[in-house]
Amino acid sequence: MVLGIFSVYIEEGCITCDACEEAAPEVFEVTEDTCFIKSDVRLDGGFDRNDSKSGLKTEVVQTYSDDILDAADGCPVDVIIVVEAKVDEVEVEEVIVEAEVEVPIAAEATQVSADIEGLDAFLSAGDRTLNIFFGSQSGNSEQLASTFAKRAGDYGLEGIVHDMDGFDIKKMASMRRVAIVCSTWGEGEMPDNAEALWQAASSKDAPDMSGMAFSVLSLGDTSYELFCQSGKDWDGRLEQLGANRVAPRVDCDVDYEAMATEWAQEALTMLSAVDDSGNLQEELIEAIREMADGGASVADGEDGFIIPDLTSDEIEVQLSVFRYDPHEKTSGSDTWLCSLPGHLTLLESLRAIQRTHDGSLCFTDGSPHDPNTAIVVNGRITLPGLSRIETLSNGRPGALNLHLEPLPGYDVIRDLCVDFGVLTKKREEASLWHVSRTREAIRSEQGTLIGSMDPSEAIALHKMSDSFGAQVLHSCSDSIAYSQSYLGPSVCLDLWVKRTDSRTSTKRAEEIDTLLGGSNAILAETDLAPIGRQPLAGKEIQSALSDAKTRALELNGYNGRHGKHVWWYAWTMKSSGRVNDTVLYRQVLGPLGLLSNLTSGVTARMLTGFTRTGGKMVNDILALVAPPAGIGKMPRQFNKRVDDHYEVVSIFNSLDSRF
Amino acid sequence: MPIRFAYHPGNVAHSSAPEVDETMRAACRSLDIELIDMPGATSCGAGILGQANRRLQITLNARTMSIAEDLGMDIITPCATTAATLYEDLMMLKADSSLMGEVNRTLEKTTGRVLEGSIKIRHLLQVIMEDIGIENFSKKVKNPIPSPLAPYYGPNLQQIGLIGGDDVFDPWYMESVIEAGGGDPIRYASRTTSAGTPGIFSEEQTVLRQSANILSDAKTMGARMMISACTLSHGVLDIYQGKASRSTGLNTNLPIIHFCEYIAFLTGNFPTRLAMLKTRVAVIGD
Repeated sequence: MVLGIFSVYIEEGCITCDACEEAAPEVFEVTEDTCFIKSDVRLDGGFDRNDSKSGLKTEVVQTYSDDILDAADGCPVDVIIVVEAKVDEVEVEEVIVEAEVEVPIAAEATQVSADIEGLDAFLSAGDRTLNIFFGSQSGNSEQLASTFAKRAGDYGLEGIVHDMDGFDIKKMASMRRVAIVCSTWGEGEMPDNAEALWQAASSKDAPDMSGMAFSVLSLGDTSYELFCQSGKDWDGRLEQLGANRVAPRVDCDVDYEAMATEWAQEALTMLSAVDDSGNLQEELIEAIREMADGGASVADGEDGFIIPDLTSDEIEVQLSVFRYDPHEKTSGSDTWLCSLPGHLTLLESLRAIQRTHDGSLCFTDGSPHDPNTAIVVNGRITLPGLSRIETLSNGRPGALNLHLEPLPGYDVIRDLCVDFGVLTKKREEASLWHVSRTREAIRSEQGTLIGSMDPSEAIALHKMSDSFGAQVLHSCSDSIAYSQSYLGPSVCLDLWVKRTDSRTSTKRAEEIDTLLGGSNAILAETDLAPIGRQPLAGKEIQSALSDAKTRALELNGYNGRHGKHVWWYAWTMKSSGRVNDTVLYRQVLGPLGLLSNLTSGVTARMLTGFTRTGGKMVNDILALVAPPAGIGKMPRQFNKRVDDHYEVVSIFNSLDSRF
Repeated sequence: MPIRFAYHPGNVAHSSAPEVDETMRAACRSLDIELIDMPGATSCGAGILGQANRRLQITLNARTMSIAEDLGMDIITPCATTAATLYEDLMMLKADSSLMGEVNRTLEKTTGRVLEGSIKIRHLLQVIMEDIGIENFSKKVKNPIPSPLAPYYGPNLQQIGLIGGDDVFDPWYMESVIEAGGGDPIRYASRTTSAGTPGIFSEEQTVLRQSANILSDAKTMGARMMISACTLSHGVLDIYQGKASRSTGLNTNLPIIHFCEYIAFLTGNFPTRLAMLKTRVAVIGD
C-alpha cells in the first residue's frame, strides 16, 4: 500500500511568511492575511484556502508532490495540511482519478449490479460442467483436483474429476471447460497416469480442440532442470490444438498450496464465464468474481474450516505522531490525514508512512508481541502490531484521531523510539537475581530429582507476574516519568514475586525486604490505579503491587509519612466511620510540614478557597483568624460518627485489632 | 418520576470539600434525581485503608453496599475515587465466591448484614450520560458557561466496566456535557492521568510535578477553567496549584471546580457563586 497526495489545504493561523510560495509557487499563493491554493491546480477550480479539500489535478500531483511536501514541512506554523489517499503501488495516478470523479464509479457499480442480475440466468442455463484432469505421481495433483472440484460450486460450475489414465482424447476434445492439474516426474516427464493421454494429445492425429476453454496448473520442483515441464507441455499443446487459454498457467514449486489457490480463483472464475459454445463472456467475469468472493468465506478447506473475512472498510484517520529530533533537540508532532483499511494494524500503518512518505519517521519495528515496539496511543499503552485501526475508534463521529507518543518513563532516542537503558540500570540496582534456598526435591518417574511447588502457589506467582514485558509495565505508572529515583512498577513487581516465591532463600528474602521498604521502591509509587487500568498490565498486577506496598509499610512499622497516612486514615475511620483530614494533616505532616504549607501558600489556599466556590468568603476570613477550624475550607477536627458506628468498630475488631 | 439512588457523598464532602455535597444535592434536584441518604455509610477507604488491610476495606465497603441493597437502590456518588473503590471491591467479591462467603460471614457476625452483590455503582457523570441522556440534560441547562473548559477525569473513574460506554483513555462523556453546557471542551493528553493524590503527603515533589503537568497541559491547550470529576484530585489540583508552579516552573494558574459545582451552576443553582466564578475565570490566567 502506498500513500499519495490527494489534496492540500490551509488551516487557520497562516502567518503569511511566504515560505510555501517559495517552495511551490505553482501551488501556493500567499495573500495579505493567509495563503490560497491556486485555481489551476485544483479540480474544482477554486481559489481559496481549499477548505473543501478539493483534490489536486493528476499532473500537479505528479509534478509537484515533493514541492508540496517541502512546503508543508517548512511551514513554521504547520497550517499546510496534506491529505493523502491510499493508492496502489504502481497505479498512483489512476486511484487519484477515481477519488476525484465519483460519478463513473457509481455508474460502474450499477453495471456490476445489472451483471449480477443476469448472472443467475447464465449460470442456471445449459451445461455447467468443469472437467478437471489430474496427472499425478504422488497424489498431490489428484488431491488438488478434488479440492477444486468441490470449490467449483462457488463459481456456478459442476466440477468433475478425471484421471488422465485411460481417458479418450476425443472425448476430451468435446469438452467446453477443462482444467488440468499435472505434476512433473523425473527429468521433465509426465506422471505415469498421464503418459498415454499425453501421447494421444501430442500425436499428429490429435483432434481439434478449438471449442475448448482451458487452464493449466503445473506442479514441479525448481531443483530440477526441467521445472514443471509436463504442465508446460500440456499448456502449449492445447493451445496448438486450438483450445482457448482463459487463465494463464501457474507453475508451482514444492510449497504449492498458496499458488495453487490463487490459480484456482482465477481459473475457476474465467472458466465459469465460458458459455455452452466455449466462448468467454467477458462482461460476466467481474460479477462471477464478486459472487465467488461472497461464497469464499464459507467452507474453504476440506475439513470445513471457515476462513473469516478479516478485511474491513477504510476509515478516515488523523494520525498525529510525536516527533523528536535529537540533533536539533526539537520536538513536536506531525499529522497525516489518511484513509486506511480498518483491518490494518498500527504498526503496518507506521511502516506504510515510513515507506511511502517520510523515511525519517522512527519507531521500533518487530513482531506483533514484541514489547519493545510498544507506544502510547491516545493515552493507552499499546502493542501496535496487535492493534487494528478499527479497534482504536471510540465511537466519536468523524475522522478517527490517533495521537501516537513514545512510552513514558524512558529517554526518547528519536520520534517513537525510546532507550530502555534506564530500566536496565534500575534492574541492576535492585539485583533482580533469584537465590534459591535448599529444599526437598521429589523423584520423577524417570528417577531424577526435581524441585516441586504447590500448584496454587505456582498459579499465584504466574498470575501476578503475567505482564506484557518489563519495558511495558515500567511505563504503566503515571508517576514514573516524574521521579528519577523510583525503581518503577516493573522492578518492584519482580522483587515482590521473588519475595513471595517459597523457593527464595531466607537471606535473599531479607535483602528483598530491605529493598522493598526503601524510599525508592513501591512506596515511591503515588497511585496504583493507573497501572490497574492499563490493558497491558491489569488488576492482578495492581493487586500484587498493593500487597507489596502493605509489606513495605509493615516492614517500616507504619512510620514515615506514607505509613502515617495509611495508619491514621484507618484510625480515623475506626473512630467515626469517616476519614478525618484534619487528623491526617496534623499527624502525617507534623509541625514542620504544616509550617511548610503555611509558608508555601497551601494553607492559605485552603483557607481562602482561592479558586473554589464552596463557602462564603466571610467564613474563609474567619478561618484565617482562628485556625484550625471547622469552618471555611479547613477540615473539621471532629467527625460526626456514622449511624450504627458500633458495627464499624466491630468489623475493625474482628479483622484488625491494631487500630 | 425522579430517578432514585442511594447517595454516597464520597470521602471528604463532610469535611474539606463541603461544596461537593452541597452542589451535588442541588444539581440532583434540578436533574430530577432523588438522593436517599445512607447515614450509616462509611468512607470507602480510597485504597489507602486497603494498604493497611485489604480485607478490612472490602468488608467495610460490603457493609455500605448492603445498606444500599436494603434500600433497593444503586449507589450514586460525585467522587471518582469512591466510585472506583466501591466498584473494584464489588467486582472482586462477585468474581470470587469464596471471598464473598468469607466477607459475608464476618459481616453477618459483626453487623447481622449480608451482601448479595445485586447493586451497581454509578458516578453522577455516568448517570447524566446514560440515564438522563445528553439531550434531556441540555434542556435543563439554564446558565450556560461559554468558555474553553478542560475536563479532568483522573484514572480512578476511567476503568473498564466502571464508566459504561465511555472510552477509558480517550473519554468523551464530560466533553459532551460541557458542549451541552455551552462550553468548548478542551482535549488534552493528561485528562485521565493521575494527579498523584494518594501520595500527596509522602511523595510531595513527585505529586507536584504530576499535578503541574496536568494543569499546564490543559492551560497550554487553551483552557480557562478545569472541571474535575474526582473530589480528592480536585483538592490537590487546586490547593497545591501555586506550590506546583513554583516547584516545576510551569504555568499552572487555572481555576478548578468540581463536576457537581459545574452541573449545579449550569442548572441554575447558586447564581452568585457562578457570578464569582466567572469573575475568577476572567481574572485568572494569561
